[in-house]
Amino acid sequence: MRLPRPNLPRPKLPKPGFPADHPPGPTRPSFWRSPLRGPWLTSILGSALAPLILVCAFTGFLSQAAYNPALGNNSLLPGGGLGVDLYFFSWPTSPSFLYALTQGVHVTSGLLAIPILLAKLWSVMPKLFEWPPIRSIAHALERASLALLVGGSIFVFFTGLLNIQVFYPWPFRFLPAHYYGAFVFMAAFLLHIGLKIPVARRTFREQGVLRPLRADLEHTEPEPYVEGHVAPLEPDRPTISRRAMLATVGAASLGAGFIAASQSIGGPLRSLGLLAPRSTQLNDGPNGFQINKTLAKVNLTRDDIGPNWRLVLQGGEERILSREELLAMPQHTYDLPIACVEGWSTTQSWTGVRLRDLATLAGAPGASQVLVESLQKGGALREVTLSSGQIADERSLLALRVNGVDLSPDHGYPARVIVPAAPGVHQTKWVGAMKFEAA
Amino acid sequence: MIARVRTLYGASPLHLLAVIASFAIAGYAFFRLAGTPTALQTFIWFAGAAVAHDLIAFPLYSGLNLIARRSLAGPLDNREEDRRVPVVNHLRIPVFLSALSLLLFFPEILGLNSSNYADDTGLGGDVFLTRWIGLCAALFLGSAVVYAVRLRRVARDEDEEEEDGGSDDRPGAATEAGSGTDDA
Ligand code: HEM
Repeated sequence: MRLPRPNLPRPKLPKPGFPADHPPGPTRPSFWRSPLRGPWLTSILGSALAPLILVCAFTGFLSQAAYNPALGNNSLLPGGGLGVDLYFFSWPTSPSFLYALTQGVHVTSGLLAIPILLAKLWSVMPKLFEWPPIRSIAHALERASLALLVGGSIFVFFTGLLNIQVFYPWPFRFLPAHYYGAFVFMAAFLLHIGLKIPVARRTFREQGVLRPLRADLEHTEPEPYVEGHVAPLEPDRPTISRRAMLATVGAASLGAGFIAASQSIGGPLRSLGLLAPRSTQLNDGPNGFQINKTLAKVNLTRDDIGPNWRLVLQGGEERILSREELLAMPQHTYDLPIACVEGWSTTQSWTGVRLRDLATLAGAPGASQVLVESLQKGGALREVTLSSGQIADERSLLALRVNGVDLSPDHGYPARVIVPAAPGVHQTKWVGAMKFEAA
Repeated sequence: MIARVRTLYGASPLHLLAVIASFAIAGYAFFRLAGTPTALQTFIWFAGAAVAHDLIAFPLYSGLNLIARRSLAGPLDNREEDRRVPVVNHLRIPVFLSALSLLLFFPEILGLNSSNYADDTGLGGDVFLTRWIGLCAALFLGSAVVYAVRLRRVARDEDEEEEDGGSDDRPGAATEAGSGTDDA
């Protein structure tokens, strides 16, 4: 370095037993040189992160509620998942974009958070190598909780991130791991915020919330070293200002968030989301929009959905209907979204028979619930139970056509369920039977 | 009494209560998961996530950063204007953004998800590698353009200073993007 070193404040602090009882390496404060690290940087990153994590957690737990997990086998959690899990209301059908919104926000806030999380973790790394490793019972418990916080945040964010790219390198089922992992993460997170808000407030009081952003590189000074906090004891000369560093992290966050939002909002944004898993579509035709599982994926053939297909209705009495008979019933058309748990959605114009008309036909008018079975042989979502509210909504359809043409095989021909505001995985495709329960 | 807890425990009783509440929630989730057939693998991945970050990813990226800073500070910044516009951030920032986008989207960029992706979506997933390379190219190009503009600006400021008789009332005004002269 050729430039004269700026006059950095050199803390003249007693260094208790240092360095003799610190093993060499990262446990020594002098190991950590970055002049940007310090409680202010950590606090500002934490303040950006906290609302994103809270929104992400809230919409995530809502997504669980959207499955109406108290009905039938809807819960994808072990043992039916009942317990103190949050299932105390029936998922509504209005507004119709509800699930597209909550799940789009879930995935978008998660992606917005990841770059900030990584920067936040970078900013506190010296604390992970703190020496002595344990000072008291309280300190030991806090560190155990931090292990859950760091492990939990990486685990939950990255399982979600790989899930939206349909990549499953692990041997466990995604949903329970992500869901209960989130519980562990949130438990540690809430404790962490509780313990750190006072630190952040004190730091903001002393250094100002935004004041450090005014400094360009020339005026970037290290935060004062205080034992037990993350500012460096022997800082290097800065090579980037705090505001340039934060702008880079912010750009990364917005970029990642945009990718997620583009495939949720759709329209002209979709194709701009370059790296978004659903940034492309099959073609421009009426059936060209995004597919979650193709016919081949669920091991169905065209014979299964050919002219011999029949819909079995059960309720008070059993009715067996061909597709022609369904088409002869009153048809209704609504623009409704399919919104995938993976955070993408697309709104199309669906035409078909009202579920409530089918309930009446099956001898169960005003049915309290219906078990919808797909022709597909396996898979957790082979069958789904819809609620009385979902059956009763006039926009809930057994759709036979989309955008004015027959459904394509991959979109669920001969017939699929479309229920406003329900998660995409509840819009069962290749429906074979519907078992209504009388009110 | 409270003082006793403080000395024995090392923090206030409220701290202890908060920690117990937090571990109780975490413990509940732990036992729900413990009932699944793949519980052990889940816990291994959970712990592995922390290890992968703290002991692999962090040393790796800070090591790379250190090497970049050491090797760039000397040899490349050898002209006066080079020193006033350090090149390091013009490399570090696009490298960071490219690497982060790879970290977030490596399954589709590298095609690791290809069999699932094709079967689930009916789409070919082979567009993502090309798009990612394009994104990286755009980031590096953009950074290079900004660097060139800043170098020009510093050089011109210095010419003007010589004409003005060297008066410089704004020392280092051009050391950061966006803080240079108004007319550029
Ligand atoms: C997933 C989210 C987060 C993770 C993984 C995380 C992780 C950590 C870790 C490992 C430490 C060091 C341990 C310690 O100082 O005791 C720390 C410190 C800290 N965190 Fe967080 N944190 C997160 C979110 C937040 C949020 C939302 C805030 C906002 C209030 C925050 C504020 C702080 C503060 C102020 C410190 C202390 C810095 C110092 O003492 O110098 N953190 N964090």
